[in-house]
Amino acid sequence: MGPTISALMSILLHLSVILVFSPFILGVIGKTKAFFAGRWGPPVVQPYYDILKLLRKGSVYSTMTTWIFRAAPMIAMAAILAAGILMPFAGLKAPIQFWGDVVLFAYLFGLARFFMVLAALDTGSSFEGMGASREMTFSCLSEVALFLNFTVLALISKSLSLSGLIGGDVSLLWHVLGPALTLVVISFFLILLCENSRIPVDDPATHLELTMIHEVMVLDHSGVDFAYILYGNAVKLFILGSFLISIILPFKTQNVFMDTAVYLSGMTGLAVVIGVIESAMARLRLNRVPYLLISAVILAVFAFIITLVRGGF
Amino acid sequence: MSLFMTSLSILAASSFLMLVSARFKRFCGYIFLSSLVAACLAGLYSMIHILCSGTPVDFRPHWVWPLGEFYLGIDALSAFFLLLFFVLFLVAGIYGYGYLRNYAGKRSIAAHYFFYHLLAASIMLTLAAKNAVLFLIGWELMTVSAYFLIIFYDEKELVRKAGYVYLIATHTGTFCLFIMFLLMGSQTGSMNLDQMMSAQYSPQLTAFLFVLAIIGFGVKAGFIPLHIWLPHAHPAAPSHVSAILSGVVIKIGIYGLIRFISIVKDFPLWCGVLLLLIGAISGVGGVLYALGQHEIKKLLAYHSIENIGIITLGLGMGMMGQAFHQDTVAMIGYAGALLHVFNHAVFKGLLFLSAGSVIRATHTGEIDHLGGLLRTLPWTGHLFLIGSLSICGLPFFNGFISEWLVYQALWGGVFHFDILGIIFSCLGVAALALIGGLAAYCFAKAFGMIFLGKNRSKEESPYKESDYMLRGPMVGLAAICVWIGLFPAVMVSFSLKTAQTVTGIPVPAGLEKLILNPLLKAISVLFTAVIIFAVLVALRKFLLKARPVRETETWGCGYALPSARMQYTASSFAEPILRIFRTLLVFKVKTGKLKKHFPAETHLSSSVLDVSENMFFRPLLYWIRELSGRLNWIQSGSTQRYLLYILFFLLILLIWKLN
Repeated sequence: MGPTISALMSILLHLSVILVFSPFILGVIGKTKAFFAGRWGPPVVQPYYDILKLLRKGSVYSTMTTWIFRAAPMIAMAAILAAGILMPFAGLKAPIQFWGDVVLFAYLFGLARFFMVLAALDTGSSFEGMGASREMTFSCLSEVALFLNFTVLALISKSLSLSGLIGGDVSLLWHVLGPALTLVVISFFLILLCENSRIPVDDPATHLELTMIHEVMVLDHSGVDFAYILYGNAVKLFILGSFLISIILPFKTQNVFMDTAVYLSGMTGLAVVIGVIESAMARLRLNRVPYLLISAVILAVFAFIITLVRGGF
Repeated sequence: MSLFMTSLSILAASSFLMLVSARFKRFCGYIFLSSLVAACLAGLYSMIHILCSGTPVDFRPHWVWPLGEFYLGIDALSAFFLLLFFVLFLVAGIYGYGYLRNYAGKRSIAAHYFFYHLLAASIMLTLAAKNAVLFLIGWELMTVSAYFLIIFYDEKELVRKAGYVYLIATHTGTFCLFIMFLLMGSQTGSMNLDQMMSAQYSPQLTAFLFVLAIIGFGVKAGFIPLHIWLPHAHPAAPSHVSAILSGVVIKIGIYGLIRFISIVKDFPLWCGVLLLLIGAISGVGGVLYALGQHEIKKLLAYHSIENIGIITLGLGMGMMGQAFHQDTVAMIGYAGALLHVFNHAVFKGLLFLSAGSVIRATHTGEIDHLGGLLRTLPWTGHLFLIGSLSICGLPFFNGFISEWLVYQALWGGVFHFDILGIIFSCLGVAALALIGGLAAYCFAKAFGMIFLGKNRSKEESPYKESDYMLRGPMVGLAAICVWIGLFPAVMVSFSLKTAQTVTGIPVPAGLEKLILNPLLKAISVLFTAVIIFAVLVALRKFLLKARPVRETETWGCGYALPSARMQYTASSFAEPILRIFRTLLVFKVKTGKLKKHFPAETHLSSSVLDVSENMFFRPLLYWIRELSGRLNWIQSGSTQRYLLYILFFLLILLIWKLN
């Protein structure tokens, strides 16, 4: 029973770290945006308040909806959290890791998205249908970029598990394959912006349904369900962000506290960067977004070529 | 083997019995059902036995005829395909029985039953044939009996046309197969596949044979651009026949290709690369065409092409692995392809049967006329959802397992091949990722538009759900989807055993563990997800207990009078992605112009044209017809003249031979 219990404990620890820290990133983004707008802005812990407030509310459901509408936020959040189990954070090892877990990682996100899209179509509202259609379009392209980036990292690290891709000696590889890794980082950052519906792909703060992507899909969700959706999005941003930070800041001191500090400051930095982009850039026109994603694909291909040439294959 | 022969003879005997007793409709139906169940169960038992024990069996009564011989044999490769054939034939047959009861007295159902059994027997013959001539006989019988099954609704012109297209296309393929087998036979001096296997083929001949095999088997399998019969035939046929076509008949093309690969070993690298590219093109092309379809069965037909693409990606990796002498990669590639063959048969069968159930209830397959069926047809809807999740390769279902294997093979190529191989493997990864994303898009569209929202044509939709005769087979297939998705060990080991017959090399020690261990860990993650889900459900229930929960209309963003017609349609849902790929697709939008200042009634329709059908085969066939029109004078119609031609031809051959 010993190993099972310890495995369960490590999964629980991992999940609680994810759950505790993820809304924080959203808070930092909000604070950065407020700073650029010359406002004081809501406190960094505002996203926690939002989620708690929503959890205490009742719900309103459309008469047109089926169980899919009610279950989708929970399925999505469960799938995203399960994907989180595969991702190591700073000093915290991934509780479950295996050869090829990148496929499961990507497909769990796919499962979450599939059910959220179905929930949007369940309402029969054309606005939500529109959002769902756009979400699927962009995710098709970002998935290609994601898998190409995984392939490049797999070539570099000779591994196929998330822990292997970003663990080990990525810091040494920066000397040899710096250009390739830089391209991977940029490409992955674009994927992160798209997957989490941030500017310039989508504007989470827009007020016009016609221009929304992700927000319009969840127009009809309220109360607990909406809390799950918000929380799930925060977790997704946190997970993808830590993947990025682990590539950019691969330092491993033997000190756990130092590692954690480096990691947390990296995550905060990432949130600030996202905030700066959101303040400095306008949203792209919808028909321009595919170009952005295609450039993410092309950057990954360039990284692939550089790796092939420099890596001595 | 005796069980297999029993099963074959039950089918043959009962098919003729049904033809004789066509007048006694009820009796005929009972014979159909009982012979089907008996034959399929016997067959299933013997196939599982062969796959478990791994020893091939054969049946050779020394019945020889010119060029050919009645020689049957079942090794793991045949057994694997026969296994999925028996599964699908059993469920589709029971479904078909339930489905056709509505037509009792209106149509010649006995003839349909007859051809159904004939198709079954001919497929068994094809899969077990150890002689090339016997194989071709089975192949032809299969083609013809499938033709009669497709044209069940033969009063419709579209159906008859679809039948012709199918017949002509597959015969073009068969022509290539004739040349291929004759060349192989002349090389070895025997038409037995065993002898062909031990023969040596020169590199030029290998290349030529490979191209012939790709065309010959590719027409049946539906490789782009040879796929043109598929999107016509699948929607024309009754749904259980579509399930058989998509689940079994096109897979016989894949079987033929794999059998060919295992006979003529030693392929150069480019063959594997070619197969990989065909896979990528068929996969991406198939799913893009599917996105552009508005008719449910046509959409599913294009998805068959997509899945054939995924299978071919696996086969390509298998061949490339062999060319690079990387046995593990080759093995995983073939195993992934084979498992996907099985999985596709199961979930596509499920999807076609549930699509049939939708069409039976609503009398339409137009996605844009449907909507909200999950409430009126709950069984069909939920079963279609399971099929959709499986075909998208999402975790918990069987599609995930085989796509996983194909990804492993592709990444195996990235790790173990040389630079050229790495580039192509990476291309395969990108293609498979794109296919996965687009498939999810397409099934979000199909399921969402048909089963969610509100009915687009009628306000009230008092549709009747299918009865147990139709539901039972679908539930069975859905159960297999979930079973393989959560407990993949048995099927993975079967496909590895089968891959071993293809490569001719025993499975490397520990490979099965190497594949299964990560899969088991993946499934443990899935179980964690289920636990998290349960916790979230409990939390939601607890939180909502004391809170107000209301029901109201969907938020219309301020618009007060929404109608069901204002919902997003399938065409508009797929439009953004089709726009992105418009350079590859012929995407046509027709709309009426508004001439006056005030809005008036107008129309808009969009469609995606099949490039290979409209831009390649149509002009090609036009020119062939023009050309053959000029040569019409040769065909006078008098037998004496034809005899004269033969005489001249023989004389020329004689002179040529004497020189």
